[in-house]
Amino acid sequence: MSTARVLTRSWRTPITLTVLGAVALVVFGLLAPPGEHSTFGVSTGGDLVQFEPLALPSRLVGILLGIACLALAGWSFTLVARGRRVPIWLSITFGVAFVLAFLTWSVAGAQISLPALLQGALALSVPLIFGALCGLVCERSGVINIAIEGQLLGGAFLSGVVASLTTSVWAGLVAAPLAGLLVAYLLAVFTVRYYVNQIIVGVVLNVLVIGLTSFMFGRLLSPNPETWNSPGRFLSMKIPILGDIPVIGPVLFDQTVIVYIMYVTVAVLYVALFRSRWGLRVRAVGEHPEAADTAGIQVNAVRFRNVLIGGAVAGLGGAYFTLGLSGLFSREMTAGQGFIALAAMILGRWNPIGAVFAALLFGFVNNLQSVLGIIGTPIPSEFMLMAPYVVTIIAVAGLVGRVRPPAASGQPYIKT
Amino acid sequence: MKRRFRFAAALGGLALVATACGEAPDEENDTATNGEEEGADFEACMVTDEGGVDDKSFNESAWNGLQNAVDAGVINEDPSLAESNSPSDFEPNLRSMVDQDCGLIVTVGFALADATQQFAEDNPDEQFAIVDFIYEEEIDNVKPLVFNTHEAAFLAGYVAAGYTETGTVGTWGGANIPTVTIFMDGFWDGVQHYNEVKDEDVEVVGWDKEEQDGQFVGDFSDTTLALQISENLIDAGADVLLPVAGPLGEQAAIAARDDGDSVVIWVDVDGYEAAPEYSDLMLTSVEKGISVAVEEAASAAAAGEFSNEPFVGTLENDGVGLSPYYDYEDELSDELKSEVEELREQIISGELTVESDAAF
Repeated sequence: MSTARVLTRSWRTPITLTVLGAVALVVFGLLAPPGEHSTFGVSTGGDLVQFEPLALPSRLVGILLGIACLALAGWSFTLVARGRRVPIWLSITFGVAFVLAFLTWSVAGAQISLPALLQGALALSVPLIFGALCGLVCERSGVINIAIEGQLLGGAFLSGVVASLTTSVWAGLVAAPLAGLLVAYLLAVFTVRYYVNQIIVGVVLNVLVIGLTSFMFGRLLSPNPETWNSPGRFLSMKIPILGDIPVIGPVLFDQTVIVYIMYVTVAVLYVALFRSRWGLRVRAVGEHPEAADTAGIQVNAVRFRNVLIGGAVAGLGGAYFTLGLSGLFSREMTAGQGFIALAAMILGRWNPIGAVFAALLFGFVNNLQSVLGIIGTPIPSEFMLMAPYVVTIIAVAGLVGRVRPPAASGQPYIKT
Repeated sequence: MKRRFRFAAALGGLALVATACGEAPDEENDTATNGEEEGADFEACMVTDEGGVDDKSFNESAWNGLQNAVDAGVINEDPSLAESNSPSDFEPNLRSMVDQDCGLIVTVGFALADATQQFAEDNPDEQFAIVDFIYEEEIDNVKPLVFNTHEAAFLAGYVAAGYTETGTVGTWGGANIPTVTIFMDGFWDGVQHYNEVKDEDVEVVGWDKEEQDGQFVGDFSDTTLALQISENLIDAGADVLLPVAGPLGEQAAIAARDDGDSVVIWVDVDGYEAAPEYSDLMLTSVEKGISVAVEEAASAAAAGEFSNEPFVGTLENDGVGLSPYYDYEDELSDELKSEVEELREQIISGELTVESDAAF
């Protein structure tokens, strides 16, 4: 009985890969119109070494990539047949090949710039990554944080206002986590100390922040933008050497300081959660608070602290909206991204690295739909706007498999 | 998650209604010093669409119309205002306005059409004016204020095609709805007309009139995606952008400033005045005379002459128009400017017809 269940579960990935691989080979390869070329720009204006745009024969490349996809799928079959699991790198390689096949097919007869495509993808992902990190820090300790949206918005607002008043973007950057912290403090007090339902408190906090910032925007920021809403922006700083790598150099290493802080935060959180005593305690509290308590860990103190840390991370992410991108605050500018961040956290299996990839996937598909829409696709824009969500569903259902939240997530710990 | 979010938004809307109600009575100012006190005994109210009254766009324009009516002394000071943060705010906002003693309730936007109809039918004694929507069957107590913006957008498209150096112009919208796409249709046709007359090949990216499809953010608040779309259009070669998305239009200006060689065409109001921080980027604006239409509707209602006859703004009645070129006056050739003037007259005289599925 148990072996049968293991078998059915592990065949899922090879089957999904085979179906997708067949789609790639047939639709993006064999059925593609012959004679067309897909042109990809590789260099940006500031690169040291300039490369010519790559003009690839669309149909041939599509067929080759489709075959590569099927080969990977076949390999996964043999691995599963031998009783081994499909390694994650295989799924990722498959994903890259599949996306490249799709790109080659959809760009046939046109040109896009790869660095610009990826840069936009990262730009759309950054707030999601901060939000997802916030969510997992809270949830790993057992507190569901629905208020990510409010924490992002609060961070965006306060960083904008403080940077405007002090005429220093750095002051704004320091203020941003404070706003997130403030919202998180309310969340922690109500959920950890007074055991109020975590979902309800989170929702109410979102409403509070949206109402408050919109009100202040209408009363202060909008009538006097020179004083209240002209925070300015961080300029992007190119990291020497790394920034000169073709394609990924300008994408990853020619960014604002907020993005560099994000890289550091991801690394620190990953190490802290899985390689430190603090992380072990946090995970224990999130999985089995009674056991943790018995071992002498103060469950609610850990939770309180984690919610505050999470809030600060999300608040910092809020600064990206104002100081990283637009250079001004506008009403409800987070537009529900705190909720997408929650989805990214789940898709990333409550793991910082996983959450980063999930958020990047979402950002990539979101930017791809815009770029492809501009060069002209036969797919209606309403459907293209759905693409990020559809891809997320396919990724969760087909590739990630069953995800399991921390066992005590959402349950208040009341010492008996 | 979505349902939770809606619930959240609904609660937020209630909170905002509460603040709006709290602000309305401002009795100290009632003994105003404008000498026309007998005229000013008429209460006008307004419910906005998403985006808020300070959107530098259509909500703001409608609100300015009421403010102008106040300045002219025809309606009471401090007209009541209920701002909507999401569609779930429309009903509570309208209800609170109906409960107040409003002589005229102005609802701003296509999105409020159903809610306005419902409240108008339930409250036949109230008088309504709705911006940007016309009902198939007219309602006795609702005056539609609509605008054939494609006529002015046509001129803007012609100007853009004449200005562009890259041979590509771009446009994007908040959502694929008629009041947005009417701008994009006109813009598209203007560019095509230029291509025909001049035998040029200026390309429009972000909208295809035949397909009725293009670049949309999906809402009117997602600044991140709006900025990204603007950058993508500039990367695709566009050096003139027409953002049709209320408050999100700023993001196109930000992208244009980053690029350094691009300009923006504003919509709804004269962007040179409404968004002075970007005035150096404003090639021109496609103006929609919402404020004049709202002011006139309020004045008529205050004088007891309310009618449900639709007001259709056109180039002919100056209900829509093109703003001055301001900083770009010298960069556009005299030839182009006089051609635009000629086209304007041709459209007014009916010699040239501009079509849009979204026209009124």
